[in-house]
Amino acid sequence: MTQLSTKHLLGIKDITATDIQLIFETADQFIDVINRPIKKVPSLRDTTIVNLFFENSTRTRISFELAERRLSADIVNFSASASSVTKGETLLDTVNNILAMKVDMVVMRHPAPGAPHYLAQRIDANIVNAGDGTHEHPTQALLDAFSIRRKLGKVEGKKIAIFGDILHSRVALSNIYCLKKLGAEVTVCGPPTLIPKYIESLGVHVSYDIKETLNWCDVANVLRIQMERQDIKYIPSLREYTQYFGINRPLLDSLKKEIVIMHPGPINRGVEITSEVADSGHSIILDQVENGVAIRMAVLYLLSARR
Amino acid sequence: MQNFNLFGDSVVSMYFCGKNHIAPIMMVLLRNVVIHAPDSDLHGRTQDIFIKNGIIQQVTTAFDPPEGTQIVEKQGMHVSIGWMDVGVLAGDPGFEHREDLDSVAQAAAAGGFTAIALYPNTKPTIDSKSSVLYIKNKNHNLLTTIYPIGALSVGCQGKDITEMMDMRQAGAVAFADGHQSVQNAGLLMRSLQYAKACNALIINVPHDETIGGHGQMHEGIVSTSLGLAGLPSMAEELMIQRDLHLVDYTDGRLHFAGISTARSVELIRAAKHKGLKITASVSIMNLCFTDAALSHFDTHYKIMPPLRSESDVDALIRGLKDGTIDFIMSGHKPVEIEKKNLEFPYADFGVIGLESFFGLANLYLHKKLTIHQIIRMMTVVPREILGLEIPVLKEGEVANLTLFNPTEKYVFEKKHIYSKSKNTPLIGKMLKGKVLGVLKKEHLILF
Repeated sequence: MTQLSTKHLLGIKDITATDIQLIFETADQFIDVINRPIKKVPSLRDTTIVNLFFENSTRTRISFELAERRLSADIVNFSASASSVTKGETLLDTVNNILAMKVDMVVMRHPAPGAPHYLAQRIDANIVNAGDGTHEHPTQALLDAFSIRRKLGKVEGKKIAIFGDILHSRVALSNIYCLKKLGAEVTVCGPPTLIPKYIESLGVHVSYDIKETLNWCDVANVLRIQMERQDIKYIPSLREYTQYFGINRPLLDSLKKEIVIMHPGPINRGVEITSEVADSGHSIILDQVENGVAIRMAVLYLLSARR
Repeated sequence: MQNFNLFGDSVVSMYFCGKNHIAPIMMVLLRNVVIHAPDSDLHGRTQDIFIKNGIIQQVTTAFDPPEGTQIVEKQGMHVSIGWMDVGVLAGDPGFEHREDLDSVAQAAAAGGFTAIALYPNTKPTIDSKSSVLYIKNKNHNLLTTIYPIGALSVGCQGKDITEMMDMRQAGAVAFADGHQSVQNAGLLMRSLQYAKACNALIINVPHDETIGGHGQMHEGIVSTSLGLAGLPSMAEELMIQRDLHLVDYTDGRLHFAGISTARSVELIRAAKHKGLKITASVSIMNLCFTDAALSHFDTHYKIMPPLRSESDVDALIRGLKDGTIDFIMSGHKPVEIEKKNLEFPYADFGVIGLESFFGLANLYLHKKLTIHQIIRMMTVVPREILGLEIPVLKEGEVANLTLFNPTEKYVFEKKHIYSKSKNTPLIGKMLKGKVLGVLKKEHLILF
């Protein structure tokens, strides 16, 4: 199996475990590439990729851009606030305009769940979902699972806990799909108002007790509390959140075992995680960033083969 | 030419351009038609029906028509009294680009409906005597009678009650804030009380916005897997519970329009047993599809109330069978393509439903309900609930008839849509049961 089963990467839900393994094996090779003095390969020469960001992003956009450049693709960046688009030009018009300039692949972040699916039904180019609202963020999930695999040797059978705002998190949803497909056990932990009522239907455990969950897991993936996504108050205050759901050094020291700490960034230091923990030896947060570039190179490379 | 002017000029020209024709008829004969009239001896019989000057003259066999009679004879043709739909949305005045009164009347006729009760959500809303009369006066040229449902609150804003008695006098058949649910319990209480003075029905679409305000689709496994904000069933059920208390307290008359959950059916069943003056309806889409239809973010299935789970659909059908739910509505809500062909959260809720109603209902429900039950729910029941005169299919009565073939299968296409908006997922789908025409007084239209 040297090809993905799909032309687009819209979400982890739509791809197979074999696809994920193929992406990991390809990313392993790209890790080697980006650690060489000459970090560039010509794989995507003559391929034009547009990065369409309808929502603010720094790290994901830079990571994709770096991956594209290291594959020698030609790139075009487009940033727009979603509001200006909803008030004026439609998404389809924007993208059709860009495609008329002969673009081969689209990397898109958009605040609306399903926006990349909407595009995939209407345009020819390969589409990579770089985050669609509260739905999926597939490359983040891939790089998270890839980082676990590199750190612990495998994902299968591992116990992974995801902490924080599960209700509004595309990272949580994609992580759940990815980890379950790879055979891991998953628990989500956070305030009950931030955990979707039917989340257990995805095959995960639910806990409201951070200490118990930390004791259970091999890996803690700590999510950002996204106050900007909360139009109504789901938690009374950040202070209380930090007190009852924040991860700090004494909490980690009280555990019976060593666990791995992950965070997709950007970190609210002192809110969901203290600096001490984020910068500790437990943390693989910066490895995640490095792995992110390799994963995105692998995804773009493999999708380009499906054109 | 006067008789040609059935729908108003634009419609006449359209029909004459197309294959359908309008007959300016003094005399028409429906040849070999199977009669659906469960309360009459004629029920189930194949007869000839002769209509002269809009009056059913003879129901017989092998009728020898006088010269000049238009004969309508079609394979598998059935006839019943004219159908009625309640809770239709148009956009006249204010949103005529979506639907005006002419186009909604055409769409209704194409769906076999000779009467529709229209929600007041226009701009301005139908919340005064003059606006009720605006709708009533438009009826002169229309084949489908449009009954206005007056707004329950001024501007449908959910604050102050409207001049219901005045509107009732002018022709409003019921009061509702249309597709907007009445959030304020005190307002609904006063409406239920006040409407008793003019013997009017109050209609509410049960939906608690504090629970389901941000939702995009039914809250369940599918919404969780799509990362879309959910509309919990509880949002509907809580409001039904509240409204049942209000009906009990006021002894008013309330219709729950478009219920969608299993628990709602239970609540209404129990309340009916208790003797509360309540009735309920369900939208056809909620009987035919589940939230699984949204798995690929198809905005055509984004409707209110949302498509729910399989067990909800089963419970709704049981509710129809045992009379807990009184009738089925089309849930016709026209939305222009610019508001529908969008990313899922930005797309408007709504689906049109008049033209496809029978084909869909018959296709999905024919094994669960008899055709007579379905027809009864589209004819007698809504008129009884609204207190309207019920047409009768017998000699000497004014003709108000729908012609249909319950077994004909056809692919639903754009050409079957007369609504100005085409927001439906059914285009290209096979339906079963075709409307062949409607006949009202001396006016006949065949499709």
